[in-house]
Amino acid sequence: MTDWNALSDAEFRTQIRSFFEAEYPEELRHLPHRPKFAEVEHWHVKLHAKGWVAPAWPAEFGGMGLEAAKLMIYYEEQQSYGVNRGRDMGIQMVGPLIIKYGTQEQKDYWLPRILSCEDIWCQGYSEPGAGSDLANLRTSAVIDGDDFVINGQKTWTTMAHDATHIFMLVRTDPDAPRKQQGISFILAKMDQPGVEVRTITTLAGETEFCEVFFDDARTLRANLVGEIDKGWSMAKALLSFERIFIGNPGLAQNALAQLETFAKGRGAFDDAVFRDRFATVALDVEDHAALYSRFADQLKRGETLGADVSMLKIWVTETYQRITELMIEVAGPDGGSLGPLQAGNVGVDVLASFYKARPSTIYGGSNEIQRNILSKAVLGL
Amino acid sequence: MSTEQDEDLRLLRESVSTLLERAGGVARARRVRDDGAGWDGAIWSDLAEAGVLGVTTPEETGGLGMGLPAAGVIAEEIGRVIAPEPVVPTVAMAIGLLHRLCPDASLLEDTIAGAAPLAVAWQERDARGVSDVIDCRLKDGVLTGSKDWVMGLADGAPLLVVAKSTDGLALVRVAGDAIGVTKQTARQSDGSVLTSISFAATPAEVLAEGAGVAPALADAVADATALTAAELVGVSGSALELTLDYIKTREQFDKPIGSFQVIQHRAVDMKIMQEVAQAAVREALAAMENAATPQARSRQASRAKARACVASQKITREAIQLHGAVGYTDEFDVGLLLNRALVLSAWLGDGAYHRRRWLELRDTEEVAQ
Ligand SMILES: Cc1cc2nc3c(=O)[nH]c(=O)nc-3n(C[C@H](O)[C@H](O)[C@H](O)COP(=O)(O)OP(=O)(O)OC[C@H]3O[C@@H](n4cnc5c(N)ncnc54)[C@H](O)[C@@H]3O)c2cc1C
Repeated sequence: MTDWNALSDAEFRTQIRSFFEAEYPEELRHLPHRPKFAEVEHWHVKLHAKGWVAPAWPAEFGGMGLEAAKLMIYYEEQQSYGVNRGRDMGIQMVGPLIIKYGTQEQKDYWLPRILSCEDIWCQGYSEPGAGSDLANLRTSAVIDGDDFVINGQKTWTTMAHDATHIFMLVRTDPDAPRKQQGISFILAKMDQPGVEVRTITTLAGETEFCEVFFDDARTLRANLVGEIDKGWSMAKALLSFERIFIGNPGLAQNALAQLETFAKGRGAFDDAVFRDRFATVALDVEDHAALYSRFADQLKRGETLGADVSMLKIWVTETYQRITELMIEVAGPDGGSLGPLQAGNVGVDVLASFYKARPSTIYGGSNEIQRNILSKAVLGL
Repeated sequence: MSTEQDEDLRLLRESVSTLLERAGGVARARRVRDDGAGWDGAIWSDLAEAGVLGVTTPEETGGLGMGLPAAGVIAEEIGRVIAPEPVVPTVAMAIGLLHRLCPDASLLEDTIAGAAPLAVAWQERDARGVSDVIDCRLKDGVLTGSKDWVMGLADGAPLLVVAKSTDGLALVRVAGDAIGVTKQTARQSDGSVLTSISFAATPAEVLAEGAGVAPALADAVADATALTAAELVGVSGSALELTLDYIKTREQFDKPIGSFQVIQHRAVDMKIMQEVAQAAVREALAAMENAATPQARSRQASRAKARACVASQKITREAIQLHGAVGYTDEFDVGLLLNRALVLSAWLGDGAYHRRRWLELRDTEEVAQ
């Protein structure tokens, strides 16, 4: 097995890039929507055969075992080539959870299935009454013989209609003194009598997220991950990598490239006002990347990130939104039109990008919540 | 404005809003969108009966003779429930042109009486966007050329076209089944469509021709611009109201989210933006009534649209944010309002366009003085 970490950064980058260039299907580059698994399966099979599905997992579990520096390079190349992350909740969230807290049996059973995408996961955290205040969750799991019996509702569950399994936070001790206590992490099958999934249509007319109802659904007690009633701190630990990932420059960089293409095609660069506006957002992206590297370097040195990493998410998501708003301005009289807009000899779907940018300040910890964290934990206010 | 006029406007607002609420409010807009019907013919007749379509035209033509501020009141109410009927395009463009150029045409009376929405095609596309010139040509009674961004055109309906003729501009009518017409529709975010049309030797009936057409067109476009701004004020007013209701009732961390100071300040900023926009648009409409020159009239229209575009976009986007994930669903009405704001902002020039135009018009007025 290759020791990727032994390669120089440049060499590693070249290898990743050439693999994507040679093998990644052209029609899947920079996909504007979240694909169902069937759409990206042929790519996943190739990636799996290469052993590159889980760059962050240790090699002993079938990952690439990349150190932070190499991992950042992997993600940079993935982003810039427009490689779809596929259905990676299993890879990004469930795998690391099981690796860190799971039993040997759980590792042996679940990890290979995640890598092969035999199981496709969705994330069941949010509930109608538990959004920003996630600890307010009510969905209950009660022990009954060898099983947990699950009752309640999850919502905003991304791609639940195309998932085989759900990893969820449930309340196992309703009498715990604090809301954060008595919460557990369990894994459950979607295809069973007590689970009902309803898709939710977004204002863009897409069906990316769902409501999931549990009515005496069951899962084995063996599917509890970690200690019972200790799920909250595990969920928080899981978020630590997520927090830099969600602040990465990728989405804003892609949107900026799209804005540039569109503006060129429409002749907007002849206009001094537009030039200034473009330079403003371009520098917002470039300078964010400088701050991002600072945090990435911290990771590369093996340090853990502090609460200040939230700055990245706030800056990049709001920049992302401004870029797509500027696209609408360039579209001018076509600014309300759905579908690709002609710009020179290419078509750019301006509203699709605008819509995609809107919820980025809501999910992954809303920007208001991130600002609360920064003001408290970083500024000490 | 006299108190008598204020009272008239209040009564008008009440009757239009009651009519639209009874018809189903925002829920009706959603239904019409889902049915793909474009708009509701029965509501169109009701609106006509209430005098909405003839609000600005003299009583001899079957109108109410009330002026632009009254039309603005109607447009605000239309925006508030995002009624899909093309009221502003018909009132400001079709009726506006007909009553200025051919007040005796039976088409004017029929349109005011609610026969059917009547679309007007005047804008043309060049490489950049909206062209400054009209190139579509009328010669020997036939039209050749193309038009774009036509709002409110039903399948098979007749329409009005502004074309270049040997003697300045001409206003013509093209029958619904006229030959040589090719249409393309662009679906908009709110479910409506804008149509682009090309004419190849299409027979057209001349309604007006000559030096009077260009100024009438400029005034009609100014009216349509300012009334679209008023409609946007209605849209953002609704978004603000829904948001205020929501943040008072949605609880997180055992409190209404509206009790968090950051949310309070954001709501206050939305409110200020809304009030400034409403005041500016209403003042602009009143000023247009008494404008000394066509330039002054257009400048006020640009001022109104510039403000309303910015306010409605900011308010509807902020509304989504303060709703959290439910704001991003189709099920909640804020999304419909955001989508409508996108369409109305783009139509007849967005904020950036009208800020420039406002300044250009101000400069030319200063030179003229
Ligand atoms: C596109 C999308 C995909 C998602 N995918 C998933 C998924 O796969 N799985 C999953 O579990 N969840 C998912 N979510 C849910 C997401 O995590 C929640 O939307 C998020 O936690 C916010 O919760 P909420 O939507 O209930 O908003 P609320 O918490 O109700 O917040 C409403 C508004 O109030 C503000 N607010 C709340 N509390 C405070 C405070 N204390 N101070 C200041 N402001 C405050 C918020 O910032 C927001 O503006 C997704 C959401 C979106 C939009």
